[in-house]
Amino acid sequence: MTVLLTIEQLSIELQEKVVLSALDLSLNKGDILGLVGASGCGKTTLLNAIAGFTKPSHGKIVINELVLSDNKASVAAEKRQVGMIFQDYALFPHLTVKENIAFGISKLSKEAQTHQINNLLSILKLTAHSDSYIHQLSGGQQQRVAIARALAPQPKLLLLDEPFSNIDARLRNELMVEIRHLLKQFDTTAIFVTHNKDEVFTFADKMAVMAEGKLLQFDAPNVICQQPNSYQVADFLQLGSWLPCRVSSTGAQSLLGQLEVASLASELVPSELVPSGQSKLLHLLVKPQQLNLTAKIDDENIANAQVEYISVTEQGFHYYLRSLTDAAIDQSLAFNKLSLYSDVALAINQQVSVQITPHKFLFFNNNS
Amino acid sequence: MIALFNSKTWKLSSYLIALVLMVPVLVMLVGGIGASTQLFGHLWQTVLPTYLENTLWLAILVVLLALFFGVISAAIITQTNIIFKQQLRWLLLLPLAMPAYLVAYLYTDLFDYAGPVQRSLRAYFDWQAPSDYWFFDIRTLPGAALMLALVLFPYIYMLTRGAFEQQDQNLIRASRLLGLSARQTFFKVALPLARPAIAVSVSLVLMETLADFATVQYFAVNTLTTAIYDTWLGYGDIGAANALASVLMLLVLFVVLAEQRSRAGLRHQSARPNSKRELLQLSFIQQCIASTFCWALVVCGFLLPLTLLIIMAVEYSDMAQLSVLLSTGINSLKVSVIAATIAVLIALLLGLYQRLHADRYRKIPQQISGFGYAVPGTVLAMAMLSTLGPLDHWLNAGAEFLGFSAPGLILSGSLFAIVFALVVRFSAIANGAIDSGIKQIPMSLDYAPASLGVGLTGTLTKVHLPLLRPAIFVAWLLVFVEAMKELPAVLLLRPFNFETLSSQIYQLISDEMLEQGALGAILIVLFGLLPIVLLNKSKDKV
Repeated sequence: MTVLLTIEQLSIELQEKVVLSALDLSLNKGDILGLVGASGCGKTTLLNAIAGFTKPSHGKIVINELVLSDNKASVAAEKRQVGMIFQDYALFPHLTVKENIAFGISKLSKEAQTHQINNLLSILKLTAHSDSYIHQLSGGQQQRVAIARALAPQPKLLLLDEPFSNIDARLRNELMVEIRHLLKQFDTTAIFVTHNKDEVFTFADKMAVMAEGKLLQFDAPNVICQQPNSYQVADFLQLGSWLPCRVSSTGAQSLLGQLEVASLASELVPSELVPSGQSKLLHLLVKPQQLNLTAKIDDENIANAQVEYISVTEQGFHYYLRSLTDAAIDQSLAFNKLSLYSDVALAINQQVSVQITPHKFLFFNNNS
Repeated sequence: MIALFNSKTWKLSSYLIALVLMVPVLVMLVGGIGASTQLFGHLWQTVLPTYLENTLWLAILVVLLALFFGVISAAIITQTNIIFKQQLRWLLLLPLAMPAYLVAYLYTDLFDYAGPVQRSLRAYFDWQAPSDYWFFDIRTLPGAALMLALVLFPYIYMLTRGAFEQQDQNLIRASRLLGLSARQTFFKVALPLARPAIAVSVSLVLMETLADFATVQYFAVNTLTTAIYDTWLGYGDIGAANALASVLMLLVLFVVLAEQRSRAGLRHQSARPNSKRELLQLSFIQQCIASTFCWALVVCGFLLPLTLLIIMAVEYSDMAQLSVLLSTGINSLKVSVIAATIAVLIALLLGLYQRLHADRYRKIPQQISGFGYAVPGTVLAMAMLSTLGPLDHWLNAGAEFLGFSAPGLILSGSLFAIVFALVVRFSAIANGAIDSGIKQIPMSLDYAPASLGVGLTGTLTKVHLPLLRPAIFVAWLLVFVEAMKELPAVLLLRPFNFETLSSQIYQLISDEMLEQGALGAILIVLFGLLPIVLLNKSKDKV
């Protein structure tokens, strides 16, 4: 695979505030990267820097071995061959669909333009609307015009700024599949920004999680999902709920009981390792399917949690459990939002017994 | 996101144009204020106190009357179920199209000793001499104030009505649920909320009043504007005229600053979508009083003067008048078309500079270019004379030094001075219209062309200018109409034997012969209606 985009030590300050800080990233040709993070974490600023709309304070952006921006100079936005699909699509209201698509290819010969436009119109199922104005189209059609317009000049890299945020939830998935197929068909390298992790799982080959101007983790979506590298990543992506545990070199104690850990060292990332003879409060990432619930309380199944909140979902009842309000328990281990699904109907405050099924445990320090 | 472009030529032109627009007034202020304390001392001991006193009294009376007319009519239209509301809503704007000096002349004609009203009264009551009865004298300071208020109150009506209409109805409902009556709610909630808008409109009325020249001149009320005119044209004393103009300019600056302070309060206005308002149901007597009030304003401020003009036009128009009208009309058109075109080009240059360029101070050129709207025409004329006059002398001296023949007063004695003054005075209007057009273009459209490989020229010619076409039209039209109506600057700056519609009508009014120019006057009123129609259309859209 050839590397298309390389970003080295990119920092951006806007109005004396650090928005991006020493960010490194590289993307292979043909890959689709999903950039996720909370609002204000710097993901749109990163897109703008690549497009040439924001000036970096330090660092380097290279596409196809051509330096677009470094400490010395910056290539003008219009000369970067970077396409962009804006959040509001930025379609020209005074031009027809056809004219919008032709906007960036006026340097081609008339025949080449017509061929390119007709090709895109047909692929994007817009032929019937070629002479319509933008306000005459639906939201989905407008988005397709924006894609056609951006693809027409055959950019080396396509940037998409929250492309699905204006689309009806029911249409969104269908459209994502369709656009991914299209980008693959054109072998277009793309970066898209979103704050919705589900969009990344559907749309992207690679995923980058950002927070406060830093890149927290960059990998394939399924890898990040299985092996988040920090509390922040797992928490932002809502990969499960948190169970506080007192971890020592010999094992982990929680309010759901002692965890059977085969080799604790292998479960912990090096920074969380606990020196021999000491203990540390860490958080265990628990996915709903890793919890076993027993509603019937008896000598074998001792109550260790109670129902805090109930909602109904297509996967059955969704419960949030909290630890028992027992004065004797270690308050630092108390939990209040342990999420699990069950077909058993329970009542608010009903006491239940919960066990964690053995699996590869993931512990994190929540200050990370 | 940063602004995309950084064209040095554009930047330089923007700052240069802004500077050129501001220089004359600066020259005048420096010359006027620095004139000499001796001159000020002399003026202060002779005429200045009276002029100032008259100016201030006029301003106070006009504001009080305009507030009375404007706020009450706005309240009636927005808060009550007055009949013919939809018609009155826009009819109340029409007096804006009527120049105050026309109304002044027409009412003087109507109510003078020799006018039809007093004649009929004398005939009816069989009075023989003026000593037999008392009748108000309209050619006084209160009379002038009434005339000005009759045509300026729509500013207050328009902005106050807008403020009332945009008020969050839930605030009104909350007040009613907390036990206040409709009347108490109006005085304790609606009116205080509209206060910033009222303050802004009062400052507009004040500026127009301070700038008025023809009405007070006709009524022989000596204010600062008439004093400037007389000092320059009567005594040829440019130093004293400059000093008076500077005093007037400082008064206006004070109003502008006060307005800006009050504008800060506008942020408190609610922008929440309006739910249906509950209207005050008027009784029959109340309906009669409210309708009389509103219709009286429409009739006195617009319909009656227009009717009188039409009667005059029908009675006295002839071919000779038409040919004069044609030649002055062409002059007016020439000056206004040139001024409007230049003002719009400048507004585009500065507006798009502000929008598209990466310069921390990019707003400054546009802000500077807009200040001229506050400068009264008389002051502006003095500024032109005190800047372009010396420039002409230098040019002539330079030409003679180089062995050429002296070109004469090519700057101060030609259309150049009038056009320059009009552009300075009305650039703010063009800026406003172009700016609101630019603001309607989403920011992403500035960036989209670059993402498609298109540079600055393409962005301008293919995206911004086509999208701004309606705004360009509106800006051009508004400046054109204002330029057609402008009087004092034209009067002081026009070349010898050059008459425009407004200057000709003013001359005829001075000579008590408006009949000769009734057609031209109607034309000016009709031009004045254009922006009101536009204004009404855009307000309705909101």
